[in-house]
Amino acid sequence: MEDLILELKQEIIAALNLEEMSPEDIDADAPLFGDGLGLDSIDALEIIVLLEKKYGIKLSNASEGKAIFTSIRAIAEYVSQNRKK
Amino acid sequence: MDDIVITGMGAVCSIGDCCYEMLKTMRADLFGIRDNEYFSSEFQGLPAGILDVSDSNLKLISRVEDDEEVSRTQLMAQWALREALETGYVHTQKACSDRPLKVVLVNGTTVGGMDLTEQEFSQLRQGEGNADCMLTHDCGATTEAIARHFGNTFSEWVTVSTACSSGANAIALGAELLRSGRADIVVAGGTEALTRFHMSGFNSLMILDHAPCRPFDKNRAGLNLGEGAAYVVMEREELAWKISGKMAAFGNCVDINAYLSGYGNACDAFHQTATSDNGEGPFLAMTEALQMAGLKAEDISYVNAHGTGTPNNDLCESVALRRVFGEKMPPVSSTKGYTGHATSAAGAIETIISLLALQHDFIPMNRGWKEPGEGLVCPAMDCHSFASLEHVMCNSFGFGGNDTSLIFSKKPTAASGQDLPDTDNGICELARVEISDTAQLSDVSEFVKPMEARRMSRLMKAAVLSSMRALKEAGVDTPDAIITATAYGAIELSERLLNQLCDGETLKPTWFMQSTHNTIAGELAIRTRCHGYNITYSQGDRSLQWAMDDARRLIRQGKCRTVLVECHDETTPLFRQLMERVGRPCQEEEVKSLAIVLSCGKSSL
Repeated sequence: MEDLILELKQEIIAALNLEEMSPEDIDADAPLFGDGLGLDSIDALEIIVLLEKKYGIKLSNASEGKAIFTSIRAIAEYVSQNRKK
Repeated sequence: MDDIVITGMGAVCSIGDCCYEMLKTMRADLFGIRDNEYFSSEFQGLPAGILDVSDSNLKLISRVEDDEEVSRTQLMAQWALREALETGYVHTQKACSDRPLKVVLVNGTTVGGMDLTEQEFSQLRQGEGNADCMLTHDCGATTEAIARHFGNTFSEWVTVSTACSSGANAIALGAELLRSGRADIVVAGGTEALTRFHMSGFNSLMILDHAPCRPFDKNRAGLNLGEGAAYVVMEREELAWKISGKMAAFGNCVDINAYLSGYGNACDAFHQTATSDNGEGPFLAMTEALQMAGLKAEDISYVNAHGTGTPNNDLCESVALRRVFGEKMPPVSSTKGYTGHATSAAGAIETIISLLALQHDFIPMNRGWKEPGEGLVCPAMDCHSFASLEHVMCNSFGFGGNDTSLIFSKKPTAASGQDLPDTDNGICELARVEISDTAQLSDVSEFVKPMEARRMSRLMKAAVLSSMRALKEAGVDTPDAIITATAYGAIELSERLLNQLCDGETLKPTWFMQSTHNTIAGELAIRTRCHGYNITYSQGDRSLQWAMDDARRLIRQGKCRTVLVECHDETTPLFRQLMERVGRPCQEEEVKSLAIVLSCGKSSL
């Protein structure tokens, strides 16, 4: 799980162009949206695209994404249970 | 100032290949035709309002050789324009006039010739294939090709590109050109062919319904894209009467279909792709249009809503409608359940629908609606209805927060013929900033937080940097209007997205939402909290001139004291190579951005 968390952090930094951040700067349990990392709805779409491309996970709508993407750890758990590749 | 009258109409879209066919489809029960399944044609597995005519047949109709490279956007425009020019007797009017008439085409489009470019791109990127499509790739070149198809009919042409409100803004701009005397007759509207490019882009934003769309319904789940073209012929009433007298010899006269009594252009200044919760932009656009027409909210007999079917648009538009109309809500309907969302052509297609409603006294049905939802207006659902309509409002909202509302009336309103001031008190330039070096772009951090800058394209950074510097130098926090000019728009992002399309990847949402020409003006409006007039011109190397003329007009009319005018373009190695191949070399600089702050004069600031 820790490997997957690190991988996700790296992928998200690249997909969202968080240039000045390194994986250590992101707390795996902190909220991604709003007060935590400060991501927004466009970032949620980017993460949805990322999950499809990297892990073969297809989400049907954006609100489904928002419910899953509460923290990096939550995404990692979802990915490990649902990944197709 | 004369009243502006609509004297001709032409349209093609998924529900008809002329205005009369569209009327028949919407009044299906009266005309006894089958209620078609407009979204039966599937495009990438998604329902879409497709015009059921192949490119080859479109060429046949347009009398274009089958092997000629002509975009679908252009072909549909030519078809609709022919109907508009004929019903408006434009050629007869020209022949009967005792002086040469200036006929101007104002065209709204965003995808331009993308349908051809995307077909060729996998070859083009390898230095192969037929690069001729580059000659009509951009919006301005598409409009020029459309205008030239009609020989010497048009003396001038211009493209307005404000995404999904382009068609409506073209019509509003057309009225201004008539009022300022720049045109005697305007043919205005929009055209947009469905492309894999924007279908995939909207899909990556997850706002497409996988079933036929359900505007204003509790369970609405997004929009269906559509395609088509529509145009209206407009002129000053005085000219229409004068020429009509002379045309009597030919056995016909100029028909006055309706009056364009008001229009409002505002910017939501909230988000690139979402509408604000309080619907500020839509509210301001509708209010401005009412004010111009000298009408009260209760005078409106029907509203043709933007009503895309996305959860966000329909709720925010409902909020804005309630702010404008309160308890006296007129019948409202979205007709996108018939046509799909034809993006840049939508405002023009819905103008035609509004005009048909006004002429034939009926309220188009909100196809697809079943269940009322919290906070949503309950739309009109009776396609048998007859109602006496006097004034019809037609809403169009776009990405970048570009919101426009038009009002058409059976009779002239008290205010519509009133004169606007036209005084030149010495318009002056308060600041001018130019950026043409990519090394400077990191300076954007002076104005933009890193979390915001991370998703900005190169062109966007240049535009924000030049504009914010110019505004700072001019001592202006919030300009009264923002007018952008660009020949090619976001070339770098378009190229990346085309690469993704060729490689079968999902398009990157961040890139797609910045790929329309009007994202820059939208972003600048957000940064400067400017809810005022907001428009984007894309007419090749004449774009900046059109933008400056528009800014001066706003200042002369006393509508604005300060206007931000900017012009931005960029290039990539591949784009430069392709343009060289077709003998149209483009700029050397990777980015070039110019921002100017115009003012009505320092003393009055």
